[in-house]
Amino acid sequence: MIEDSEREEIEKLLPWYVTGKLGVSDANKVELYLAQHPDALPQLQLIGAEREETMRANEAMGWPRSGMSDRLMTSLPRSTTPSRGHGRFAKFAQFFRMYPALGTQWAAVGMALLILAQAAFIAVLLTRTPTYRLAAGAHGDGAAVLIAFADNAKASEIARFLADFEATIVDGPKPGGVYKIKLRNLDKSQLDDTLLSKLSEHRDVVRIVLPSRD
Amino acid sequence: MGAVADEASLIARIAAGDAVALRILFARHHVRVYRFIRRLVRDAAIAEELTNEVFLEVWRHAKSFEGSASALTWVLSIAHHRAVSSLRKRREESWDESAAGALPDAADDPEVAAQKRDAGAILRRCLDALSPEHKGVVDLVYYHEMSISETSTVLQIPENTVKTRLFYARKRLSQLLRQAGIDRGWP
Repeated sequence: MIEDSEREEIEKLLPWYVTGKLGVSDANKVELYLAQHPDALPQLQLIGAEREETMRANEAMGWPRSGMSDRLMTSLPRSTTPSRGHGRFAKFAQFFRMYPALGTQWAAVGMALLILAQAAFIAVLLTRTPTYRLAAGAHGDGAAVLIAFADNAKASEIARFLADFEATIVDGPKPGGVYKIKLRNLDKSQLDDTLLSKLSEHRDVVRIVLPSRD
Repeated sequence: MGAVADEASLIARIAAGDAVALRILFARHHVRVYRFIRRLVRDAAIAEELTNEVFLEVWRHAKSFEGSASALTWVLSIAHHRAVSSLRKRREESWDESAAGALPDAADDPEVAAQKRDAGAILRRCLDALSPEHKGVVDLVYYHEMSISETSTVLQIPENTVKTRLFYARKRLSQLLRQAGIDRGWP
């Protein structure tokens, strides 16, 4: 009876012994048992066969359709973490916390309104160019760059910047107020450090410039 | 150790709202997650949908990742939960184990007759016919090569239950094989 329960205890461990995922102590216990009870050895073959066919069965499941990653990205909620609040409106509140004195609060109001105007302007750009607005990960013509505009950038400055580089905002805002823009007349191969530096030079308009993986 | 730390930092980046980190994690594990779910729900479209939901949940709850388990273990535990919930919703899904054990008779076509001779194919069919509960533990241990502790984390059951569940899954497999005409001499 004791022998039976010992055997059952060992048999319960054998699958992990075969996959090499057993702790040292348990592995030693199994090896000692198998040395004393060679009649249990055929179990290892059975488990080996089970493992092999389980692997085959899983491999036979194939691959999911391509484009799943893009579908995931497009289904991500826009706001990433609740603590960050809601985009630029959170920034609005943040301004008042930054400027506790009443006098400076009026200046903060001005800045906050500028941010709101900037956000509204970008929203208009996005809605006015529906043909360029692509789902995240979708590929269109042009080189893609990730960009965050300076908080104090005016709508007219953003418009000029985009026109100068023949760029269109195609997606955003992403976490950190980052937008994806496409430089229509360039392809990916032309997107080098020199160009990124050139974009970064406009510090009055942009605060972050990053290459996009698209 | 390095890989575990790397994945922990990846999850931390996801928790901070880094979508690129989520893409990387997805690229690393989505096929495993998809296969794990598909084996349980037995439907490719549902498996894809649930896989997507799993990574959305990772995105939403990355902050709750404790780092005591590997990222894959954590992701598979979400996948298991999703798959089981989906199966519960689809109550019409019944597991027809007897069908898997029913082997073709002499009148079967040559292809089926050849399969009848292929012990590996029969074993595979019997593995497929296990209940989701048994199939889940079998896949985690044999295909995903999880330890007892990791399997326990994914399935949210005690380690002793993991061992017992696999033991009974293997016994059930022997039973199905016997019904299919193969006696493997155990138990």
